[in-house]
Amino acid sequence: MTPALSVSNLRKVYRGGTVAVDDLSLAVEEGDFFGFLGPNGAGKSTTIHCITGIATVTSGTIKVFGIDAVKDYRKARSLVGLSPQEFNVDVFATPVQIVDWVGGYFGIPSAERKKRIDELMERFDLTEHVKKPFRALSGGLKRRVILARALIHKPKLLILDEPTAGVDVELRLDLWRYLGELNRDGTTILLTTHYLEEVERLCRNIAIVAKGKIVRQGPKEEFLAGGGIEGAYLAATGATPDHIAAGAA
Amino acid sequence: MENVIGHVNWIGLWTIIRREMQRLLRVPIQAFVAPWLSALMFIFIFGYVVGPRIATIGGHKYLQFVLPGILMMNVVNAAFLQATSQVYFQRFMKFVEEALVAPLSYVEMIVGTLAAVVFRTAATAVGILIIAAVFGGVQVVSVVEFMFWVVIVSGIFGLLGIVIGLWAKSFEQLSALNIFFITPLSFVGGVFNTVEMLPPFLRWLAWGNPFFYFINGLRHSMIGFNEAPEPLGALLSLAMLAILSVWVWRLFSVGYGLRE
Repeated sequence: MTPALSVSNLRKVYRGGTVAVDDLSLAVEEGDFFGFLGPNGAGKSTTIHCITGIATVTSGTIKVFGIDAVKDYRKARSLVGLSPQEFNVDVFATPVQIVDWVGGYFGIPSAERKKRIDELMERFDLTEHVKKPFRALSGGLKRRVILARALIHKPKLLILDEPTAGVDVELRLDLWRYLGELNRDGTTILLTTHYLEEVERLCRNIAIVAKGKIVRQGPKEEFLAGGGIEGAYLAATGATPDHIAAGAA
Repeated sequence: MENVIGHVNWIGLWTIIRREMQRLLRVPIQAFVAPWLSALMFIFIFGYVVGPRIATIGGHKYLQFVLPGILMMNVVNAAFLQATSQVYFQRFMKFVEEALVAPLSYVEMIVGTLAAVVFRTAATAVGILIIAAVFGGVQVVSVVEFMFWVVIVSGIFGLLGIVIGLWAKSFEQLSALNIFFITPLSFVGGVFNTVEMLPPFLRWLAWGNPFFYFINGLRHSMIGFNEAPEPLGALLSLAMLAILSVWVWRLFSVGYGLRE
Protein backbone atom coordinates (compact mmCIF):
# COMPACT_ATOMS: atom_id res chain seq x y z
CA MET A 1 0.00 0.00 0.00
CA THR A 2 1.26 3.52 -0.81
CA PRO A 3 2.30 5.29 2.40
CA ALA A 4 0.39 8.41 3.39
CA LEU A 5 3.74 10.15 3.78
CA SER A 6 7.12 9.10 2.57
CA VAL A 7 10.19 11.24 3.22
CA SER A 8 13.46 10.04 1.68
CA ASN A 9 16.90 11.45 2.41
CA LEU A 10 15.51 14.88 3.21
CA ARG A 11 18.12 17.57 3.74
CA LYS A 12 17.37 21.18 4.57
CA VAL A 13 20.12 23.75 4.81
CA TYR A 14 19.08 27.31 5.64
CA ARG A 15 20.69 30.38 4.09
CA GLY A 16 23.72 30.94 6.24
CA GLY A 17 24.59 27.25 6.27
CA THR A 18 22.63 25.90 9.25
CA VAL A 19 21.78 22.26 8.60
CA ALA A 20 18.32 21.80 10.11
CA VAL A 21 17.48 18.40 8.63
CA ASP A 22 20.16 15.94 7.56
CA ASP A 23 19.37 12.87 5.45
CA LEU A 24 16.07 12.23 7.22
CA SER A 25 13.87 9.38 6.00
CA LEU A 26 10.56 8.19 7.37
CA ALA A 27 7.34 6.57 6.21
CA VAL A 28 3.88 6.99 7.70
CA GLU A 29 1.38 4.35 6.65
CA GLU A 30 -2.15 5.31 5.66
CA GLY A 31 -4.42 5.37 8.73
CA ASP A 32 -1.51 5.60 11.17
CA PHE A 33 -1.29 7.89 14.19
CA PHE A 34 2.37 8.76 14.10
CA GLY A 35 4.33 10.48 16.87
CA PHE A 36 7.22 12.63 15.67
CA LEU A 37 9.30 13.50 18.71
CA GLY A 38 12.48 15.36 19.47
CA PRO A 39 13.96 18.19 21.48
CA ASN A 40 13.55 21.86 20.52
CA GLY A 41 15.62 22.64 17.44
CA ALA A 42 15.90 18.96 16.43
CA GLY A 43 14.35 19.57 13.01
CA LYS A 44 10.72 18.51 13.58
CA SER A 45 9.10 21.78 12.51
CA THR A 46 11.52 22.19 9.61
CA THR A 47 10.62 18.71 8.35
CA ILE A 48 6.93 19.62 8.61
CA HIS A 49 7.56 22.91 6.83
CA CYS A 50 9.29 21.04 3.98
CA ILE A 51 6.36 18.61 3.71
CA THR A 52 3.77 21.39 3.59
CA GLY A 53 5.65 23.89 1.39
CA ILE A 54 6.47 26.53 4.00
CA ALA A 55 10.15 25.71 3.54
CA THR A 56 12.04 24.81 0.38
CA VAL A 57 13.73 21.42 0.18
CA THR A 58 17.52 21.40 -0.26
CA SER A 59 17.58 17.75 -1.40
CA GLY A 60 15.63 14.53 -1.01
CA THR A 61 12.07 13.61 -1.89
CA ILE A 62 8.72 13.93 -0.13
CA LYS A 63 5.65 12.06 -1.30
CA VAL A 64 2.11 12.45 0.02
CA PHE A 65 0.00 9.41 -0.90
CA GLY A 66 2.54 8.75 -3.66
CA ILE A 67 2.36 12.32 -5.03
CA ASP A 68 5.60 14.30 -5.16
CA ALA A 69 5.16 17.26 -2.79
CA VAL A 70 7.60 19.43 -4.76
CA LYS A 71 6.95 18.57 -8.42
CA ASP A 72 3.19 18.09 -8.09
CA TYR A 73 2.76 20.38 -5.11
CA ARG A 74 -0.83 21.48 -5.77
CA LYS A 75 -2.18 17.94 -5.75
CA ALA A 76 -0.09 16.98 -2.73
CA ARG A 77 -1.08 20.05 -0.70
CA SER A 78 -4.78 19.50 -1.30
CA LEU A 79 -4.43 16.27 0.75
CA VAL A 80 -2.66 17.80 3.75
CA GLY A 81 -3.95 19.86 6.66
CA LEU A 82 -1.53 21.66 8.95
CA SER A 83 -1.99 22.97 12.46
CA PRO A 84 1.26 24.82 13.07
CA GLN A 85 2.98 25.55 16.33
CA GLU A 86 2.72 29.34 15.90
CA PHE A 87 -0.49 31.31 15.38
CA ASN A 88 0.14 32.30 11.76
CA VAL A 89 -3.11 34.18 11.19
CA ASP A 90 -4.46 37.64 10.49
CA VAL A 91 -5.12 38.55 14.12
CA PHE A 92 -7.67 41.22 13.16
CA ALA A 93 -9.89 38.69 11.37
CA THR A 94 -12.67 36.65 12.97
CA PRO A 95 -12.58 32.84 13.35
CA VAL A 96 -15.14 32.46 10.55
CA GLN A 97 -13.13 34.66 8.17
CA ILE A 98 -9.92 32.78 8.93
CA VAL A 99 -11.44 29.38 8.27
CA ASP A 100 -13.46 30.63 5.30
CA TRP A 101 -10.43 32.11 3.51
CA VAL A 102 -8.41 28.93 3.87
CA GLY A 103 -11.40 26.90 2.68
CA GLY A 104 -11.48 29.16 -0.36
CA TYR A 105 -7.77 28.66 -0.99
CA PHE A 106 -8.44 24.93 -1.05
CA GLY A 107 -11.09 25.47 -3.73
CA ILE A 108 -14.16 24.55 -1.64
CA PRO A 109 -17.34 26.04 -3.16
CA SER A 110 -19.13 28.68 -1.11
CA ALA A 111 -22.20 26.68 0.04
CA GLU A 112 -20.14 23.65 1.02
CA ARG A 113 -17.64 25.89 2.80
CA LYS A 114 -20.34 27.58 4.84
CA LYS A 115 -21.81 24.26 5.94
CA ARG A 116 -18.39 22.95 6.90
CA ILE A 117 -17.53 26.15 8.82
CA ASP A 118 -20.76 25.86 10.82
CA GLU A 119 -19.90 22.25 11.68
CA LEU A 120 -16.37 23.16 12.76
CA MET A 121 -17.42 26.20 14.81
CA GLU A 122 -19.86 24.01 16.66
CA ARG A 123 -17.40 21.12 17.03
CA PHE A 124 -14.78 23.37 18.60
CA ASP A 125 -17.25 25.41 20.73
CA LEU A 126 -16.48 28.58 18.82
CA THR A 127 -20.06 29.50 17.95
CA GLU A 128 -20.33 32.28 20.52
CA HIS A 129 -16.95 33.71 19.50
CA VAL A 130 -17.40 33.85 15.72
CA LYS A 131 -17.63 37.65 15.59
CA LYS A 132 -14.63 38.37 17.81
CA PRO A 133 -11.27 39.19 16.26
CA PHE A 134 -8.67 36.44 16.71
CA ARG A 135 -6.49 38.65 18.90
CA ALA A 136 -9.32 39.00 21.44
CA LEU A 137 -9.60 35.23 21.98
CA SER A 138 -7.98 33.26 24.80
CA GLY A 139 -5.03 30.94 24.07
CA GLY A 140 -7.23 27.86 24.07
CA LEU A 141 -9.79 29.40 21.72
CA LYS A 142 -7.02 30.51 19.38
CA ARG A 143 -5.74 26.93 19.25
CA ARG A 144 -9.24 25.72 18.38
CA VAL A 145 -9.45 28.18 15.46
CA ILE A 146 -6.13 26.90 14.16
CA LEU A 147 -7.38 23.32 14.34
CA ALA A 148 -10.66 24.20 12.63
CA ARG A 149 -8.67 25.90 9.87
CA ALA A 150 -6.54 22.77 9.38
CA LEU A 151 -9.65 20.62 9.03
CA ILE A 152 -11.79 22.78 6.71
CA HIS A 153 -10.93 20.73 3.61
CA LYS A 154 -11.13 17.32 5.35
CA PRO A 155 -7.47 16.46 4.75
CA LYS A 156 -6.41 12.83 4.36
CA LEU A 157 -3.16 13.60 6.19
CA LEU A 158 -3.36 15.87 9.22
CA ILE A 159 -0.12 17.31 10.60
CA LEU A 160 -0.28 18.68 14.11
CA ASP A 161 2.73 20.60 15.36
CA GLU A 162 2.35 20.79 19.14
CA PRO A 163 -1.44 21.21 19.04
CA THR A 164 -1.94 21.07 22.81
CA ALA A 165 0.80 23.51 23.83
CA GLY A 166 -0.71 26.03 26.22
CA VAL A 167 -4.23 24.62 26.25
CA ASP A 168 -6.16 23.66 29.38
CA VAL A 169 -6.80 20.11 30.50
CA GLU A 170 -10.41 20.13 29.33
CA LEU A 171 -9.56 21.08 25.75
CA ARG A 172 -6.64 18.68 25.72
CA LEU A 173 -8.89 15.77 26.66
CA ASP A 174 -11.55 16.87 24.21
CA LEU A 175 -8.95 17.20 21.48
CA TRP A 176 -7.57 13.75 22.18
CA ARG A 177 -11.06 12.31 21.84
CA TYR A 178 -11.63 14.17 18.58
CA LEU A 179 -8.29 13.18 17.10
CA GLY A 180 -9.01 9.56 18.01
CA GLU A 181 -12.36 9.82 16.15
CA LEU A 182 -10.74 11.41 13.11
CA ASN A 183 -8.09 8.69 13.02
CA ARG A 184 -10.70 5.94 13.35
CA ASP A 185 -12.57 7.53 10.44
CA GLY A 186 -9.46 7.14 8.26
CA THR A 187 -7.45 10.36 8.66
CA THR A 188 -3.75 9.74 8.95
CA ILE A 189 -2.23 11.89 11.69
CA LEU A 190 1.33 13.01 12.27
CA LEU A 191 1.75 14.56 15.69
CA THR A 192 4.66 16.41 17.23
CA THR A 193 4.47 17.12 20.92
CA HIS A 194 6.56 17.42 24.04
CA TYR A 195 3.88 15.66 26.10
CA LEU A 196 4.93 12.02 26.10
CA GLU A 197 1.66 11.06 27.80
CA GLU A 198 -0.11 12.28 24.67
CA VAL A 199 2.07 10.08 22.48
CA GLU A 200 1.56 7.07 24.69
CA ARG A 201 -2.18 7.55 24.60
CA LEU A 202 -2.67 8.35 20.91
CA CYS A 203 0.16 7.14 18.68
CA ARG A 204 0.80 3.72 17.17
CA ASN A 205 4.23 4.43 15.69
CA ILE A 206 6.94 6.79 16.84
CA ALA A 207 10.04 8.39 15.38
CA ILE A 208 12.56 10.38 17.40
CA VAL A 209 14.60 13.04 15.69
CA ALA A 210 17.75 14.69 17.06
CA LYS A 211 20.12 17.09 15.32
CA GLY A 212 18.20 16.71 12.06
CA LYS A 213 18.39 12.91 11.91
CA ILE A 214 16.02 10.11 12.87
CA VAL A 215 17.69 8.40 15.82
CA ARG A 216 15.02 5.85 16.62
CA GLN A 217 11.85 4.67 14.93
CA GLY A 218 9.34 1.90 15.54
CA PRO A 219 5.97 0.81 16.93
CA LYS A 220 4.97 2.29 20.29
CA GLU A 221 5.03 -1.18 21.89
CA GLU A 222 8.75 -1.46 21.23
CA PHE A 223 9.34 1.78 23.09
CA LEU A 224 7.11 0.72 25.97
CA ALA A 225 8.74 -2.70 26.23
CA GLY A 226 12.18 -1.10 26.51
CA GLY A 227 11.38 0.89 29.67
CA GLY A 228 8.88 3.45 28.46
CA ILE A 229 8.81 6.29 25.95
CA GLU A 230 10.54 8.77 28.24
CA GLY A 231 13.57 6.54 28.81
CA ALA A 232 13.79 5.73 25.10
CA TYR A 233 13.44 9.40 24.21
CA LEU A 234 16.15 10.54 26.61
CA ALA A 235 18.52 7.77 25.52
CA ALA A 236 17.91 8.42 21.84
CA THR A 237 18.43 12.15 22.11
CA GLY A 238 21.57 11.72 24.20
CA ALA A 239 20.11 13.20 27.38
CA THR A 240 19.90 10.29 29.84
CA PRO A 241 17.90 10.63 33.10
CA ASP A 242 21.26 10.49 34.94
CA HIS A 243 22.46 13.53 32.98
CA ILE A 244 19.32 15.44 33.86
CA ALA A 245 19.51 14.46 37.53
CA ALA A 246 23.16 15.53 37.63
CA GLY A 247 22.29 18.80 35.92
CA ALA A 248 19.48 19.50 38.36
CA ALA A 249 21.75 18.82 41.34
CA MET B 1 -8.01 18.55 -7.08
CA GLU B 2 -11.69 18.38 -7.86
CA ASN B 3 -12.30 22.15 -7.72
CA VAL B 4 -9.55 23.13 -10.13
CA ILE B 5 -11.04 23.99 -13.51
CA GLY B 6 -8.75 24.18 -16.53
CA HIS B 7 -5.67 24.06 -14.27
CA VAL B 8 -6.79 27.22 -12.48
CA ASN B 9 -7.98 27.19 -8.86
CA TRP B 10 -10.66 29.83 -9.55
CA ILE B 11 -12.17 29.68 -6.08
CA GLY B 12 -8.70 30.07 -4.56
CA LEU B 13 -7.90 32.98 -6.86
CA TRP B 14 -11.17 34.74 -6.05
CA THR B 15 -10.53 34.14 -2.34
CA ILE B 16 -7.19 35.98 -2.54
CA ILE B 17 -8.97 38.98 -4.08
CA ARG B 18 -12.01 38.80 -1.78
CA ARG B 19 -9.83 38.52 1.30
CA GLU B 20 -7.84 41.60 0.36
CA MET B 21 -11.02 43.56 -0.36
CA GLN B 22 -12.30 42.62 3.11
CA ARG B 23 -9.00 43.78 4.62
CA LEU B 24 -9.22 47.09 2.76
CA LEU B 25 -12.73 47.65 4.02
CA ARG B 26 -11.33 47.41 7.54
CA VAL B 27 -9.14 50.47 6.83
CA PRO B 28 -11.26 52.65 4.47
CA ILE B 29 -9.82 55.95 5.73
CA GLN B 30 -6.26 54.89 5.05
CA ALA B 31 -7.03 53.11 1.77
CA PHE B 32 -9.54 55.42 0.10
CA VAL B 33 -10.38 58.58 2.05
CA ALA B 34 -6.74 59.71 2.40
CA PRO B 35 -5.98 59.80 -1.37
CA TRP B 36 -9.39 61.33 -2.14
CA LEU B 37 -8.83 64.05 0.44
CA SER B 38 -5.30 64.72 -0.78
CA ALA B 39 -6.58 64.96 -4.38
CA LEU B 40 -9.38 67.25 -3.26
CA MET B 41 -6.81 69.64 -1.75
CA PHE B 42 -4.71 69.62 -4.94
CA ILE B 43 -7.78 70.17 -7.10
CA PHE B 44 -9.05 72.96 -4.86
CA ILE B 45 -5.69 74.79 -4.80
CA PHE B 46 -4.98 74.37 -8.51
CA GLY B 47 -8.55 74.70 -9.68
CA TYR B 48 -9.62 77.67 -7.59
CA VAL B 49 -6.64 79.36 -6.01
CA VAL B 50 -3.63 79.06 -8.35
CA GLY B 51 -5.30 77.91 -11.56
CA PRO B 52 -7.16 81.10 -12.52
CA ARG B 53 -3.84 83.05 -12.32
CA ILE B 54 -2.08 80.72 -14.77
CA ALA B 55 -2.51 81.03 -18.51
CA THR B 56 -3.97 78.09 -20.38
CA ILE B 57 -1.59 75.31 -21.45
CA GLY B 58 -2.15 74.05 -24.99
CA GLY B 59 -5.61 75.63 -24.83
CA HIS B 60 -6.54 73.82 -21.60
CA LYS B 61 -7.36 75.29 -18.19
CA TYR B 62 -4.63 74.63 -15.64
CA LEU B 63 -6.92 72.31 -13.62
CA GLN B 64 -7.53 70.21 -16.73
CA PHE B 65 -3.77 70.10 -17.37
CA VAL B 66 -2.82 69.18 -13.82
CA LEU B 67 -5.64 66.66 -13.09
CA PRO B 68 -4.09 63.72 -15.05
CA GLY B 69 -0.86 64.23 -13.11
CA ILE B 70 -2.68 64.26 -9.76
CA LEU B 71 -4.61 61.18 -10.84
CA MET B 72 -1.47 59.35 -11.94
CA MET B 73 0.38 60.20 -8.71
CA ASN B 74 -2.49 58.68 -6.74
CA VAL B 75 -2.73 55.62 -8.99
CA VAL B 76 1.01 55.00 -8.52
CA ASN B 77 0.80 55.47 -4.75
CA ALA B 78 -2.32 53.33 -4.37
CA ALA B 79 -0.81 50.50 -6.45
CA PHE B 80 2.53 50.55 -4.67
CA LEU B 81 1.09 50.84 -1.16
CA GLN B 82 -1.49 48.15 -1.81
CA ALA B 83 1.05 45.60 -3.04
CA THR B 84 3.71 46.35 -0.42
CA SER B 85 1.26 46.31 2.48
CA GLN B 86 -0.51 43.18 1.25
CA VAL B 87 2.70 41.19 0.81
CA TYR B 88 4.62 42.56 3.77
CA PHE B 89 1.69 42.37 6.21
CA GLN B 90 1.19 38.70 5.29
CA ARG B 91 4.88 37.99 5.79
CA PHE B 92 5.14 40.02 8.99
CA MET B 93 2.21 38.22 10.62
CA LYS B 94 3.17 34.92 8.95
CA PHE B 95 -0.28 34.24 7.54
CA VAL B 96 1.28 34.04 4.11
CA GLU B 97 1.76 30.42 5.20
CA GLU B 98 -2.00 29.93 4.78
CA ALA B 99 -1.53 30.44 1.05
CA LEU B 100 1.77 28.56 0.87
CA VAL B 101 0.28 25.33 2.25
CA ALA B 102 -2.76 25.57 -0.03
CA PRO B 103 -3.05 24.28 -3.60
CA LEU B 104 -2.44 27.71 -5.14
CA SER B 105 0.04 28.24 -7.97
CA TYR B 106 2.55 31.10 -7.96
CA VAL B 107 0.73 32.66 -10.90
CA GLU B 108 -2.59 32.57 -9.02
CA MET B 109 -0.96 34.26 -6.02
CA ILE B 110 0.57 36.98 -8.21
CA VAL B 111 -2.59 37.53 -10.27
CA GLY B 112 -4.71 37.66 -7.08
CA THR B 113 -2.42 40.27 -5.56
CA LEU B 114 -2.47 42.35 -8.76
CA ALA B 115 -6.26 42.12 -9.05
CA ALA B 116 -6.54 43.60 -5.54
CA VAL B 117 -4.12 46.33 -6.65
CA VAL B 118 -6.27 47.17 -9.67
CA PHE B 119 -9.41 47.20 -7.48
CA ARG B 120 -7.82 49.74 -5.12
CA THR B 121 -6.39 51.96 -7.87
CA ALA B 122 -9.67 51.88 -9.80
CA ALA B 123 -11.62 52.89 -6.67
CA THR B 124 -9.08 55.66 -5.98
CA ALA B 125 -9.24 56.92 -9.59
CA VAL B 126 -13.05 56.88 -9.74
CA GLY B 127 -13.26 58.83 -6.47
CA ILE B 128 -10.82 61.47 -7.75
CA LEU B 129 -12.71 61.78 -11.05
CA ILE B 130 -15.95 62.36 -9.13
CA ILE B 131 -14.27 65.05 -6.99
CA ALA B 132 -12.79 66.68 -10.09
CA ALA B 133 -16.16 66.57 -11.83
CA VAL B 134 -17.57 68.72 -9.03
CA PHE B 135 -14.89 71.32 -9.91
CA GLY B 136 -15.62 70.96 -13.63
CA GLY B 137 -12.18 69.59 -14.49
CA VAL B 138 -12.98 66.18 -15.94
CA GLN B 139 -12.58 65.37 -19.58
CA VAL B 140 -11.73 61.97 -21.07
CA VAL B 141 -10.97 62.00 -24.79
CA SER B 142 -10.28 58.26 -25.07
CA VAL B 143 -11.71 55.90 -22.45
CA VAL B 144 -9.74 52.93 -23.85
CA GLU B 145 -6.46 54.82 -23.66
CA PHE B 146 -7.36 56.05 -20.16
CA MET B 147 -8.05 52.48 -19.00
CA PHE B 148 -4.82 51.29 -20.63
CA TRP B 149 -2.72 53.75 -18.63
CA VAL B 150 -4.49 53.17 -15.32
CA VAL B 151 -4.25 49.37 -15.61
CA ILE B 152 -0.68 49.24 -16.99
CA VAL B 153 0.70 51.66 -14.40
CA SER B 154 -1.21 49.83 -11.63
CA GLY B 155 0.41 46.61 -12.83
CA ILE B 156 3.92 48.12 -12.92
CA PHE B 157 3.73 49.59 -9.43
CA GLY B 158 1.82 46.59 -8.10
CA LEU B 159 4.65 44.32 -9.26
CA LEU B 160 7.28 46.71 -7.93
CA GLY B 161 5.39 46.76 -4.63
CA ILE B 162 5.42 42.96 -4.52
CA VAL B 163 9.22 42.96 -4.99
CA ILE B 164 9.67 45.49 -2.17
CA GLY B 165 7.14 43.65 0.01
CA LEU B 166 9.14 40.44 -0.42
CA TRP B 167 12.50 42.13 0.14
CA ALA B 168 11.72 44.42 3.09
CA LYS B 169 12.81 43.35 6.55
CA SER B 170 11.22 46.34 8.30
CA PHE B 171 8.51 48.98 7.85
CA GLU B 172 11.34 51.49 7.34
CA GLN B 173 12.62 49.62 4.28
CA LEU B 174 9.05 49.26 3.03
CA SER B 175 8.63 53.00 2.61
CA ALA B 176 12.18 53.79 1.37
CA LEU B 177 11.47 53.42 -2.37
CA ASN B 178 8.37 55.59 -2.08
CA ILE B 179 10.16 58.36 -0.20
CA PHE B 180 13.40 58.45 -2.21
CA PHE B 181 12.26 57.56 -5.73
CA ILE B 182 8.53 57.39 -6.41
CA THR B 183 7.47 60.72 -4.87
CA PRO B 184 10.43 62.82 -6.18
CA LEU B 185 10.28 61.27 -9.66
CA SER B 186 6.54 61.79 -9.94
CA PHE B 187 6.91 65.47 -8.98
CA VAL B 188 9.56 66.11 -11.66
CA GLY B 189 7.71 63.93 -14.18
CA GLY B 190 5.39 66.68 -15.35
CA VAL B 191 2.52 66.62 -12.86
CA PHE B 192 2.43 70.40 -12.56
CA ASN B 193 4.38 71.61 -15.57
CA THR B 194 5.26 70.94 -19.19
CA VAL B 195 8.81 69.95 -20.16
CA GLU B 196 9.17 73.35 -21.83
CA MET B 197 8.67 75.08 -18.49
CA LEU B 198 11.79 73.39 -17.12
CA PRO B 199 15.15 75.12 -17.69
CA PRO B 200 16.84 73.38 -20.67
CA PHE B 201 19.61 71.91 -18.51
CA LEU B 202 16.98 70.17 -16.32
CA ARG B 203 14.80 68.74 -19.10
CA TRP B 204 16.54 65.37 -18.82
CA LEU B 205 14.66 65.01 -15.51
CA ALA B 206 11.53 64.57 -17.61
CA TRP B 207 12.85 62.80 -20.72
CA GLY B 208 14.76 60.20 -18.69
CA ASN B 209 11.96 59.72 -16.17
CA PRO B 210 9.39 56.93 -16.68
CA PHE B 211 6.81 58.92 -14.70
CA PHE B 212 6.85 61.55 -17.42
CA TYR B 213 5.66 58.97 -19.97
CA PHE B 214 2.95 57.63 -17.63
CA ILE B 215 1.62 61.13 -16.90
CA ASN B 216 1.94 62.17 -20.52
CA GLY B 217 0.01 59.08 -21.65
CA LEU B 218 -2.80 59.65 -19.19
CA ARG B 219 -2.90 63.36 -20.02
CA HIS B 220 -3.20 62.53 -23.71
CA SER B 221 -6.10 60.15 -22.99
CA MET B 222 -7.88 62.83 -20.97
CA ILE B 223 -7.30 66.14 -22.75
CA GLY B 224 -5.42 65.16 -25.93
CA PHE B 225 -2.28 67.06 -24.87
CA ASN B 226 0.94 65.28 -25.75
CA GLU B 227 4.61 66.11 -25.24
CA ALA B 228 6.27 62.83 -26.30
CA PRO B 229 5.71 60.18 -28.96
CA GLU B 230 2.99 58.10 -27.35
CA PRO B 231 4.06 54.70 -28.77
CA LEU B 232 7.41 55.23 -27.03
CA GLY B 233 5.69 55.64 -23.65
CA ALA B 234 3.40 52.66 -24.25
CA LEU B 235 6.30 50.44 -25.36
CA LEU B 236 8.43 51.51 -22.40
CA SER B 237 5.56 50.76 -20.01
CA LEU B 238 4.79 47.36 -21.55
CA ALA B 239 8.49 46.46 -21.41
CA MET B 240 8.65 47.43 -17.73
CA LEU B 241 5.52 45.38 -17.05
CA ALA B 242 6.97 42.33 -18.82
CA ILE B 243 10.35 42.55 -17.05
CA LEU B 244 8.75 43.00 -13.63
CA SER B 245 6.29 40.14 -14.29
CA VAL B 246 9.14 37.72 -15.05
CA TRP B 247 11.10 38.98 -12.05
CA VAL B 248 8.17 38.55 -9.65
CA TRP B 249 7.32 35.11 -11.06
CA ARG B 250 10.95 34.09 -10.54
CA LEU B 251 10.95 35.38 -6.94
CA PHE B 252 7.78 33.43 -6.17
CA SER B 253 9.07 30.27 -7.83
CA VAL B 254 12.25 30.25 -5.70
CA GLY B 255 10.25 31.29 -2.63
CA TYR B 256 12.25 34.50 -2.09
CA GLY B 257 10.95 36.20 1.05
CA LEU B 258 8.11 33.69 1.24
CA ARG B 259 9.46 30.26 2.03
CA GLU B 260 12.12 29.41 4.61
